[in-house]
Amino acid sequence: MQARIAVSTMRRGATYVLLCLPLAVGCGGDAERPTPGNARAGAQVVRGARIAAPRTGPAGEWEMPAGDYANSRYSELSQITAANAKDLRVAWAFSTGTLRGHEGQPLVIDNTMYVVTPFPNVAYAFDLTKIGQPLKWKFRPRNSQAAIGQACCDVVNRGAAYADGRLFYNLLEGSTVAVDVKDGTQVWRTRVANLERGETITMAPIVVKNHVLVGNSGGELGVRGWIAALDTRTGKEVWRAYSTGPDRDVKIGPRFKPFYAHDRGANLGVSTWPADAWKTGAGAVWGWLSYDPELNLVYHGTSNPGPWNAEQRPGDNKWTCAILARDADTGELVWAFQVTPHDMWDYDAVNENILVDLPIEGTTRKVLVHFDRNGFAYVIDRATGEALMAHPFVPMNWSTGVDLTTGRPTVVPAKATAQGKKVTNICPSLEGGKNQQPAAFSPKTGLFYVPTINLCMDFEARPATYIPGTPYIGASAPEYGGPDGYRGEFMAFDVTTGRKAWGIREPYPVWGGALATAGDVVFYGTLDGWFKAVNARTGDVLWRFKLGSGVVGNPVTYLGPDGKQYIAIYSGLGGDMGVLIAGDVSANLPHDVRVRGTTLPDIGRWTSWGGVLFVFSL
Amino acid sequence: MSRLWYVLPCLTVVGAAVAATHDGQASAQVTADTLRFVAHAEYIPVGMPSRARPLALRNPFEGNRDAIATGARIFVAYNCVDCHGADGSGAMGPSFQDGRWRFGGSASEVFESIYQGRPEGMPAWGGRISEEQIWMLVAYVRSLTGPDLTTENFSGAAQERMGH
Repeated sequence: MQARIAVSTMRRGATYVLLCLPLAVGCGGDAERPTPGNARAGAQVVRGARIAAPRTGPAGEWEMPAGDYANSRYSELSQITAANAKDLRVAWAFSTGTLRGHEGQPLVIDNTMYVVTPFPNVAYAFDLTKIGQPLKWKFRPRNSQAAIGQACCDVVNRGAAYADGRLFYNLLEGSTVAVDVKDGTQVWRTRVANLERGETITMAPIVVKNHVLVGNSGGELGVRGWIAALDTRTGKEVWRAYSTGPDRDVKIGPRFKPFYAHDRGANLGVSTWPADAWKTGAGAVWGWLSYDPELNLVYHGTSNPGPWNAEQRPGDNKWTCAILARDADTGELVWAFQVTPHDMWDYDAVNENILVDLPIEGTTRKVLVHFDRNGFAYVIDRATGEALMAHPFVPMNWSTGVDLTTGRPTVVPAKATAQGKKVTNICPSLEGGKNQQPAAFSPKTGLFYVPTINLCMDFEARPATYIPGTPYIGASAPEYGGPDGYRGEFMAFDVTTGRKAWGIREPYPVWGGALATAGDVVFYGTLDGWFKAVNARTGDVLWRFKLGSGVVGNPVTYLGPDGKQYIAIYSGLGGDMGVLIAGDVSANLPHDVRVRGTTLPDIGRWTSWGGVLFVFSL
Repeated sequence: MSRLWYVLPCLTVVGAAVAATHDGQASAQVTADTLRFVAHAEYIPVGMPSRARPLALRNPFEGNRDAIATGARIFVAYNCVDCHGADGSGAMGPSFQDGRWRFGGSASEVFESIYQGRPEGMPAWGGRISEEQIWMLVAYVRSLTGPDLTTENFSGAAQERMGH
């Protein structure tokens, strides 16, 4: 069944291109139209869909990285509508003083906006009640310069968390800080990651009760992945759970009840690896965290296994490329679902897990929706870890589908990577069908708004030697545009049917996140610097504005003290896709990086580096 | 034959390098400290222009094709490739192909960058691998460089656009 879906989706994609190519003017130009999806706009609304953990604070604030614990990135604000979005204009802007990739998003609490920059991870607090939004304070922490060279994919930071008058965020060098929002003074600072072993931190923490939850980056440097809980008052580490190794370290005990039989057994985090390979086997926790207060479970993904050369680690390599559900208080593992066992393509499973209740086959199920790097949109029972659906959402050819009786993808043998063998045209590429850029969900339309990537790659594995503090990869994998010539698509997707309601094709991967609003307007930015407002039901682009730099961050919305709805977004090219541009390497010259030149052709013509916060209103 | 001769010790040294990192022992292979004599054209000396000419270290393998080929293998064996990209085209670390050198592109400056590391994450390989191997890396890395083009002219044909 799943195989059939995969093939038919790709066929449909091909059909649209045939329709589109002769009408080049209609596809591009000012009359920007969405590509048709598999369903009529509005016809695929999921009735009864609801966000599992709606925001607790006022609708006019943005208190958590993703707006709420469910990671919906949905706001009840509705002043900006499909009818008036064309009147959006810049309200104010601010240079962050840093140049590298501005992933993440601001927070807005109590008429104050908080912004965290890429390395050196400066935090700014803006007073929104005053004209000109003067700073209340600026916090510039010590941060080891050596961290720059330990970060695989630019020196990004995905934002801060807030609780009880304190701002919590991570420094690239591997420390977590707590800052008093009254005056910007440091309350505590805890070193949690070991930079000398290639560990850095880029993720946005979340606060659950009196714990700050943080995880490490370094999947390309042979780290051992972990998530840790720090006491919000003292910064003291309360628990730490590893992604690989013995059950004790992974926090597997009597409460661990994985849905699938192959995930049961003692110390699988050791036995699914060659001797000791789990110690450098990655499974880093660098993505977004979700929390279900009812089940008291925290959900997080784990990164690719190390090294990329899969022949050096025969076995399933648990618990890499997996979604893990942990007790929020103790860190105990409750269930695990390995999305891509024995990953051979760098398909991290760290993308956000969006917690929603959806009617499926007549009953409302508590699910987690996860658009994975591997190109499948998973719908998983968030209480048990059972995969209910897995539809492809981008062109893919490495797998024919997910077997829902085992949860495992069926691998196309010709796309299995191997040492000393150049496997060509694997889709999606190692960047995935989607990467860190988070999707949004609107309960009004029942649709997920997904920023996607359409790249393919060649992959040749070679032996890798583990040397602490250097990359542990063992592969070369040039990337290039996928089928049909576009490299990214912002789409509205119905996970219950696997159908795309509409899509907007982009010349570059869509590396910025999505925002959905009750005004039925969704927002996203592009790598070449366009910020767009889109009709949530039809995909019509209602308004767009060319920002100072490419977008790799995520829009948020809030009510200003004047009662008006504002939209805030970072511009600032960088991240994995823009790292070379952010390093001021010319984009399209013959002597340049042939590989990246193919990946992002001509992007240097459209944008340049530089971090600026932009805020818009009607 | 000579290639084989270089690669074998190189792979052995990887193990030694890892061990050295773990127990923090300095290697006995380090020779006299001549690094203070490396010229840095990009730094302006304090005060009066110095008359003393800094001594530039000479690469014993300059232009030696066998050494460059061995340097290319060392470049992969020590994971340089995964930071600096295939053929030094740049990734986590800077490109060697664009003619732009953050810490100078002379043989002695590149040697210094590899030997003592650089603050933005370039590891210090001095004492971890032999100076001979570093010189072969220098020969390889410098063989990759291209011109630093001052002008990027975008007025020609642009890539076909979609979406806008």
